[in-house]
Parts: sequence; structure tokens; C-alpha cells
Amino acid sequence: MNASEDYSMNDRADLLQGTLDLLILKTLVLGPLHGWGISKRIRQLSSEVLDVGQGSLYPALYRLEDQGLIRAEWGVSPEGRRAKFYTLTAAGKKKFASERSEWRLFSGAVDRVLKAT
Amino acid sequence: MRQWLNRMARRVRALIHGPALERELDAEMQHHVAMEADDLMRTQGLAPDEARRRALVAFGGMERYKEAHRDARGVRWIGEFAQDVRYAVRSLLHAPAFSASAVLVLALGIGASTAVFSAVDTVLLSHLPYPHDDRLIRIYEQNSPTNRFGLSVVDFQAIASQAHSLSAVGGVWSLDVAVSSSAALERARAGFATSGFFRALGIRPARGRAIEARDERTGAPPVVVVGHQFAARTFGDDAGAIGRTITIDGTANTIVGVLPAGMRELAGLHAEIWPVLHLDPPTRRGPFGMLVVGRLDKGVTLDAARHELAAISVALLEAWPSFQDHTARLTPVSLREAALGNAGHTLGLLAAAVALVLLIAVANVASLMLVRATGRWREVILRTVLGASRGRLVRLLVTESIVLAAAGAVAGIATGFAGLAVLKAIGPDVPRLDGAQLDARAVAFAVGLALVAGIVVGSYPVVLLLQRDPAPALRDGDRTIGVSRHAHAIRSAFVVAEFALALPVLAGAALLLNSLVRLQRVAPGFDPAHLVALRVALPSARYANDTAIATYWTKALPLVRTIPGVVRAGLGEAMPPDEVTNINNFDLIEHPVPPGGAQPTAPWVMIGHDYFAALGVRLLEGRLFAPADTGAAPVVVVSRAWAERYFPDGRAIGQRLVSGGCTTCPLTTVVGIVGDVKYEGLSGSDDAVYEPLTQGWSRDLNLFVRTAGAPQPVVHRVRTALRSVDPEIPLDDVVPMEDRVYASIAQPRHLTTLLGGFAVAAVALAAVGIFGMLSYMVRMRQREIGVRMALGAPHGAVIRMIVRRGMTHAIAGAAIGLSAALVGTRWLAGALFNVGATDPVTLAAVTVLLLGIAWVACWLPAMRAARIDPVAAIRVE
Repeated sequence: MNASEDYSMNDRADLLQGTLDLLILKTLVLGPLHGWGISKRIRQLSSEVLDVGQGSLYPALYRLEDQGLIRAEWGVSPEGRRAKFYTLTAAGKKKFASERSEWRLFSGAVDRVLKAT
Repeated sequence: MRQWLNRMARRVRALIHGPALERELDAEMQHHVAMEADDLMRTQGLAPDEARRRALVAFGGMERYKEAHRDARGVRWIGEFAQDVRYAVRSLLHAPAFSASAVLVLALGIGASTAVFSAVDTVLLSHLPYPHDDRLIRIYEQNSPTNRFGLSVVDFQAIASQAHSLSAVGGVWSLDVAVSSSAALERARAGFATSGFFRALGIRPARGRAIEARDERTGAPPVVVVGHQFAARTFGDDAGAIGRTITIDGTANTIVGVLPAGMRELAGLHAEIWPVLHLDPPTRRGPFGMLVVGRLDKGVTLDAARHELAAISVALLEAWPSFQDHTARLTPVSLREAALGNAGHTLGLLAAAVALVLLIAVANVASLMLVRATGRWREVILRTVLGASRGRLVRLLVTESIVLAAAGAVAGIATGFAGLAVLKAIGPDVPRLDGAQLDARAVAFAVGLALVAGIVVGSYPVVLLLQRDPAPALRDGDRTIGVSRHAHAIRSAFVVAEFALALPVLAGAALLLNSLVRLQRVAPGFDPAHLVALRVALPSARYANDTAIATYWTKALPLVRTIPGVVRAGLGEAMPPDEVTNINNFDLIEHPVPPGGAQPTAPWVMIGHDYFAALGVRLLEGRLFAPADTGAAPVVVVSRAWAERYFPDGRAIGQRLVSGGCTTCPLTTVVGIVGDVKYEGLSGSDDAVYEPLTQGWSRDLNLFVRTAGAPQPVVHRVRTALRSVDPEIPLDDVVPMEDRVYASIAQPRHLTTLLGGFAVAAVALAAVGIFGMLSYMVRMRQREIGVRMALGAPHGAVIRMIVRRGMTHAIAGAAIGLSAALVGTRWLAGALFNVGATDPVTLAAVTVLLLGIAWVACWLPAMRAARIDPVAAIRVE
């Protein structure tokens, strides 16, 4: 029994399982960001459609960090606040590439199925 | 792999820097909220306070995220473990009866096992305290698979000069001597040793030097190495002893070395002082009795040494016609094996018994845990429904077992200390048991046992939890019946197993007890009441020949006999019932042993006038010794058993024999037959041959004194009388013969006590097991029993139902145990006297006893069932 199952049961993620990780990786491809920045960027990029709850965001960040896909460092934000910045690692970049092509395959397939009527 | 390493490194860091990480986490959350508030102020123009409030609301409870984070970084289990332990301790304390009995039973099993483990570890598994002890051998003369004896000087010298397979060889003669220093006069056991003895063992004295080759030369000044205890007692310390002089049997010896404190024995021989052994050129092959040890040369096998020694044995027979037992071979035995004797067997017996008790104990606790687990099944269901993950619940249950096992280990180690003390006090007489300690290995053993026991007793509830989905049980309102049925089957198996394990232990103890009772009934052949013995060893320097010894006793005996209260006083060399100083071989003229065959042997006892009268042994036929029997025409008196063995037709009187293989000596004639006396232990044979001291005096004799009343007042006067003849003779304590007879069966008595203790524990645990199972069954089926009684079932039927249920288990277990006992008790055969290892009466008796106890254990809960009030029972649920 691993511990991560515990909170996924409690948590109501609005996103499909696994999509959040993909989105986080995508935002970080463009450069290091802190947690709030990531959630803001996702909101902006999705035209305010996707609002990532903090309850999902931070655990996801720690999980990704634990998996070695992203790296965290303390720094100072443009606003002059101390913040933790997340950067994509080499493994993270590779992972993003493969996840993205998988997602395209998947979403395309779902699309085709839905259009078929 | 690298990734995995990184992750582990992070987790370790997380564990170490837990609080720091927690602060970081906090800071990150704070930052998030601040950023959100900024954003709200900028985009929606809110006041700072309002923006911050909204940001906080949007964020939700911070604690929740921290928790999630802790999960993600995988250190939660540490905190949870502590929490689990606290919970387990709390819940165990809530059930004090359960916890106490579980810990107690575990402690008993673990403690007893640990004590026996320490003994086995020290006695059997540890090395002898000599370098490369695997190359050390002891050499015996052996003429049959079971008969070994010491070597003669001739044997030793032949080996020392001819054996190439040995890099060193040494010999010791042990003798009780009178030792006097300026401080005291005492009797001590001396091991007269050659320099090779120290070389072969490879030991160095703690101070000074060992005996060296130069000390053995003729005319070299006599030197002695002494034990630490002797040095400390006589001179205060080791250093002060070196260079001092002690007089050993009248000869002044210089102390050249002191052995280390721990060395109370060398090569199995206990002695306080080790004087140099001067070997005079032998005139005949015997006598035999030297303890010889050798060190195998590098790369030489025991077999190679055996061949070489066998060749030497054959050559010796040709060179020395005085000894012609062609079956006798110089036989090497590894010193470890020689030192251990049958200690392995005895300790193995204890280990087996204790292992069975441990298994019963574990089965018992496992059974208790099972009941507890089924009782808590609803709690488990509830927790699952309330969101506890199964993993969490499994951990909770496992933790409880671990806590229980840990308590069992602690209590077990304490019990082990006590157990080892008991074992040392009344344990088997095996070498080195004194040195056994509850060391780190024993503690590790105890902890390991506790761990395994914890896993075993805790596994079933866990399996139950993993196999079953608790949700439907709750939905269907299942009152744990499915679970308890399953658990009951396992519990039944436990109870059957407990009986199957208990029976062999009980059978073993009963066989030993039966044997002991028979042993106690054996008559020693003399009347031990009002009989005391006093050992008197005359120092060789002043009592160099027979005349001197005879003179001493001619003066001393009349003095003793005139003491008021002394009825009889006689001298004898052996000490019945279990100390024979000489076993001699003989060849009957009428039934000669074919050339090369092994001659018969018998305990050979040198006795003085009045010996038989003092002991109360009757003359049955022929005559006793007369003053005229001085050896020109040697005579012997034999025991009835001896006479019947060799001359069943009753013609023993007047028979002649060759004594001790001395073909050139005059023939010995049997002149009388006396009653049987035990010399080789109460379980030993009744054979004995007596020879008068007038045919050959011994310096080391026992004075047997029969008194009219209580011996104690007389004893002091006997000592005074002996001192008046020669004050320089150290006198031993006087031993009442009743004590000697009792002490002679100390070994079987102690073994029986120990095994009996294990048997009581085993049976008690099995009885508790069956009692617990039935009590629980009665409680669970209270309603059903109530219904039955309401429908008219008589009390007797209810009792029978419960008892039958229990007895089925007991009988099944006993049957399995009986088959195991039939095989296992053969192991006891060597320790039994006049009882077969599969003695049907004993086995039947223990089976009946065990089932009887089981019946009582079943009957008690059955009675409770019969007292159930049907109305109340039906209404309750």
C-alpha cells in the first residue's frame, strides 16, 4: 500500500488522472516557475477553463520532484518574494515529450470517436 | 537505478530534516497565498485584507496539503509507526488479562529456550580455549566400541618417540596429593604433566612459564605450575606465587608459572596444581591411566593418525608380553569430542523439550490473538468504512504483535537469566556449563525468537484482513460469524497441535521419572544409615612403601575402633556406590580367553580387615581374608553376581585366574563369595572382585566407620585419632554414606526435574489452550445453547456436547503426539534404567493423564454452558 493512494481517494481532481502532470511539465518547458505561477500559467493558457486546485497542484509537484522529473530551488521572485522555483530536469523533458505524444494519440482518438455519429 | 537512489536520498534527507522541510512547506504555502492575494488586488481591485481572506479560502486548509505532502515524500510511516506503537500499547493495556497472559506465555517459551540456547552455545558450539583446537586429539586405549581407558607410560613413550603425525604429545597422571606451604596443609588434585602437555595444548601461563623439556630430565629440580585459584588462595596473588616453594606429598617443588584465572581444567582434567611428571623407565606395560593429548601436525587427518597409532599398538604387544589384549588399540579422538562426552545428547534432549514447549507457547498466544482479532473484526470493519486503508489496518495489527513480541522478548530475557541459573544449579553435568552466560548471542537469539513468534502469532488476523473484504460484512449485518468460523478452524488446529506437542514432552518426563523411581529402589548392597566415610591419602614421600602404610594403619585403626560409638571401622579403596578406582582384567584358568581376545574386566577393590563388617555385606560362601593372605598365594573374594556370571553352576570357590594379564605372577584363587555391592553407580553392574590390602597396600584409602547412633559426634573424634598418629596428613570432609547414595543419582534426578518442569509447562499450556477455545465457543454459542435448553435439552446433553467437542481435539492431538513419542523417546534410551524407551505402560499412563487433564479443562466451560439461563440467553441478542 503506498501512501499516495490515500490522498487521491480523498481528493476530487477535476482533471483526468495523469493530465495534471502533463500540464505542469508543459508550463515548466517554457522556464522555471513557482507554484502559484504554474497554476496561473495553466489558467491563462487554458483561457481560464482549467483551474488547478492547490490541493492537487502541490502534491503533484512533490510527486514529480520525488520522481526526479522536476527540481526545486529557492529563489527570489520578480515581486521580491522568496519563492520555491521548479525547473524541468532532463528526465522531465524526456517524460514530457513522451507524455505529449501519448496525449495527442489519446485525445485524437477520443475526438474521432465523438465525431463518428 | 540512479533515479531510485536520488529518491532514497531525498527521503532520507526528508527524514533527517523533517522539521526544516516542514518550515519550507509552510513558506511555500504562504508564498502561494500572498501571490494569489496580490493577483486579486491587481485584477479585481480588492482591499489587501479581503484579497488575503479570499486567497486563503481558495487555498483551503493548509494542514491538509501538508499532510498530502508528507505522504508524497514518504516519511509519514515513521510518525505513523510511533502512533501505531502508542495505539498498540494503549489497546493492549485495555485488555490486561489478554496481554499479561500472552506476554507471560511468550516469556516462558522464550526464556526457557534462551537459557538452553546459552548452554548449548557455550558447551557444544564454542571452541575449546586452545589455539587451533580442531587439531587437538586425546588418545585412548580402546578394546571395544564402548570401552576406553587411559594410557600407560610405555604407550606414551612409544607415541612420543614414534608418532610422526603429531607435532606435540603430552601426558598427565592425576593424583590427589597433600600440599603444604607455609600457609596451610591441604589436599589437592594434582595433574602431573609432561612438558609436551603444555606444548600440545598451546597454552601459556598468565605468569611465569610452563613446564619445559629441561624440567623432565633426571635430576632436574622439581617444578610446578599452579592454577590461579590455588595461587590466590595460598599466596594472595599470582605474582607473589612465582618462585615460592610448596611441598607436594613431601617433595619440595618450585612454582614456575601460574595459569590464567579462567583455566580451572586442562583438556578436561580438573586440577589445582600441575607438577612436572618424571617418568621412570617402565618395567611392565601397565598400569594404564595416563591422560594423553596430542596435536596433529598440519595437514594430518585423524584417520592418518589412527593408522599410525594402530601400528604402534601392534608393535607394543610384541615388545611387552605382560599385556596381551590384542583388541586394544591406541585410538585418537578429537579433544572436543572427548571433552564433550555425551553432553551433546543431554543438551540435545533439553533443547528438543524446550523447543516443543516454545511451539506450544506460540500456538497458545497465536490462538489468543485469533480470538482477539475475531472479537475486533467489527472494529476493523468500522475503521475501513470510516476510511482507514487496509494497509494502515494491517500495520496496526502487525504493530500490536510486534509490541507484544517485544514485551515477550524483554520478559523472556529476564526469564532466561533465571532459567540459566536454574540450569547451572541442577542442570546436566556437562563440561563448561559453568561458563555459560546470557551473552549478546543469547540476547540476539531471544530477540530473533520473539520476532518470529510475533510474526507467527500476528499473521492470521492480517491474512484475514487481506483476504476478506469487510464492506459486505458490514452491509449484511454479519455478526462476524463467517470470520469466526474460519478462525475457529484454525484455532482447533492449534489446540490439536498443542496436545500433539505436549504428549512427547510428558512421555519423556514420565519415562525418566519411572526410571528414576526404579533407580531409587535399587539397593546399593550395604546399609548406608549410620555409616560415614573419610578419605585418607598418605603423602608418598613419607609413606614410600607398603610397610610404612601398613604401620600407619596398624596404629590408627585400633585408635578409631576404641572410640565410643564406633561399631566397626574398615578400609576400602573404592567408594560405593559410584566410585571405583580400579577396573582390572582377568583370565579364568577354566574358561581362558582365546589368544588375542579381550579379557573380561570387573571393578577391583582393595579392602582391609572389617570392610565387609563395616558396610554390612554378608559372606555367602567360602571365607573372608585372613592375615596370612599376603600375596605369596594371592586370593580374592568375589561378589555373588560375579560368581553367577562366570560360574553359573555354583563352582566359583577355588577357581583360579590370571589377574591383570600378569602371566608371570602367581595365580589368584577365589576363596569367598559375598553379597553384591554397587561400585559403578546404582544402574551399574553388581560385579566386584575384592583383594586384601595385605597383598598390596594403597596410599589412598577410604575409612568406613559404622556408628551406633548419629555419626556426627563420633566424626570429630575419628579425625582427632587420625591426627594423633600423623598430624601432617590432610583429611577430607567426612561424608555420610546416605548422602553419597543420594548424590550418586543426582544426574538422573536433575534431568528428570528439568524435563518434568518442561512437561508441566507443556501440559498446562495445552490445557489452557483447550479451555480457552471451549470457553470462547460457549460464549459465542450462548444463544444457540439457550435455545436448545429452552427446547428441553437436559444439562447433561449440553455438557456432553461441549466436552465431546473439546475431547475430539485432545484425542486427535494425543494420538498424533503418541506416534511422535513412539519414535522420539528412543532418543532417551541411554538415559533410562530398566525402562524401555517405548514402555507401553508409561506411554499409556501419560496418554490417560493428558486426556484426563484435557477433560477437566473441557468440563469447566461445559459446566458454564449448562448454567446458561435459556430465557436470558435468548433475550440478550
